[in-house]
Amino acid sequence: MNVAYFPGCSLHGLASEYDRSARLVCRHLGINLEEIEDWNCCGATAAHSLDHKLSVSLGARNLNLVKKMNLHMVTAPCAGCFNRLKTASYELRHNPSMAEEVAAIIKAPAPVETEVSNLLQLFVEQTGVSAIAQKVVRPLSGLKLAAYYGCLLTRPQRIAQFDASEQPVSLDQLLQALGAEPVIWSHKAECCGGGYAASETDIVIDLGGQVLEAARQAGAQAIVVACPMCQANLDTRQKAIEVNRGQKYNLPIIYFTQLMGLAFGYSLRQLGFNQQLNSAVTLLKQRGWG
Amino acid sequence: MPDASGIETQAFFKTIKLDAIDDSLPQEIKTACGVDVETCLECGKCSGGCSNVRIFDITPRQVVKLIKTGQEKPLLAMDALWACVSCQLCGDRCPAGIDIARIMDYLREKAYQKGIKATRYQVQLFHELMLGFIKKTGRVAEGQLIIRFNLKTGRYFKDADLGRRLFLKGKIKPFSSKIKNREDLRRIFQESIEREEDQ
Repeated sequence: MNVAYFPGCSLHGLASEYDRSARLVCRHLGINLEEIEDWNCCGATAAHSLDHKLSVSLGARNLNLVKKMNLHMVTAPCAGCFNRLKTASYELRHNPSMAEEVAAIIKAPAPVETEVSNLLQLFVEQTGVSAIAQKVVRPLSGLKLAAYYGCLLTRPQRIAQFDASEQPVSLDQLLQALGAEPVIWSHKAECCGGGYAASETDIVIDLGGQVLEAARQAGAQAIVVACPMCQANLDTRQKAIEVNRGQKYNLPIIYFTQLMGLAFGYSLRQLGFNQQLNSAVTLLKQRGWG
Repeated sequence: MPDASGIETQAFFKTIKLDAIDDSLPQEIKTACGVDVETCLECGKCSGGCSNVRIFDITPRQVVKLIKTGQEKPLLAMDALWACVSCQLCGDRCPAGIDIARIMDYLREKAYQKGIKATRYQVQLFHELMLGFIKKTGRVAEGQLIIRFNLKTGRYFKDADLGRRLFLKGKIKPFSSKIKNREDLRRIFQESIEREEDQ
């Protein structure tokens, strides 16, 4: 299966282990990722907060590049990029006057044909959980994990059209297929503070702290994410959150693709487990997985 | 106002005076956002679900109410505009299908265009710097953006140690990639508002 790949800025930077593990796992599953040549930033919160048309235009240019590659689907591992691309696609499909304005800006017909999928969605809906389970050579038995979806993979449901926004289950099912034990917890779709890590760090310490505390209370040994912002906030601000709440967490924040790769037999180093601050390496090595 | 026991009670949220009914704002929102605020049931699920309502001066439900009554001024000046994390919970839970997050975007954009000073200037500055990077290179190098932001806000050493640790983990790249098609970028940004980077 050939799919256009939109890594987004984070996967070329802070989330390089997400990029690496995503590519490894896709190759393993026979998914051929073709990175969009000359893709631009999705605009993230900055663009949609200050200029709606700009945010749609930035997304439309990327969707049009996919069309030029003769591919009908693009996948974005970052939940933020996924949400922006999907919102752009939704606007182009449902708002004719916006579609017309944007078409003039990108000098191409509005790319309404391009389908947008997040990476978790691609695995669950295209490959299928049972096909993934068949590839497991190293079941992650006994590993208690909090599947954390955050905001933008499933919300707003009308636009994201993936899983369920209040009680999503796809990541839990995937982790089960890998042999792990997803915990039942309260905060799987709550917000971590998103793009406010630098500008309003206190908000991230408050919201991220609630997520970490909920995962701890549910008995999770690690939190599994599908978003570079969730990973960065919960990992890099964990120390400050611990100070703020007077509570040790020691919770590794792992991308789901890293765990897939581990279950498929790849090494911790190949999957970039050593790149995270609250490292899962000790936890995983104790179990003889390396 | 002191209560029966003489203790000063403080309203948790701002008191809002509704003194005029004007339907031009609901109409404007309907045209721009495709959202009909008249369908609001006033159930308050938006505010109940809101990730950050504890620090909002005006709650999502009050935002809808103020739109219904045409109170643009407090809406464009509210702190909630810049404390909102765009988590999309409000609109997603609305039984009437009112996309409140889209309304918040619309109000932020309008306040920004009118030059109304953001109560949390750092949030707006961060957005501006980020768009400046995108305008220049088409992409964002997170490390450079955060350094730039901290320098601009005079917090020279904030996150310096964190930055060093992330650099050692190979998570911060010293160079950023640029896109080739500058003409596309120029057209995309041409129609958008003047940015901090241009000054």
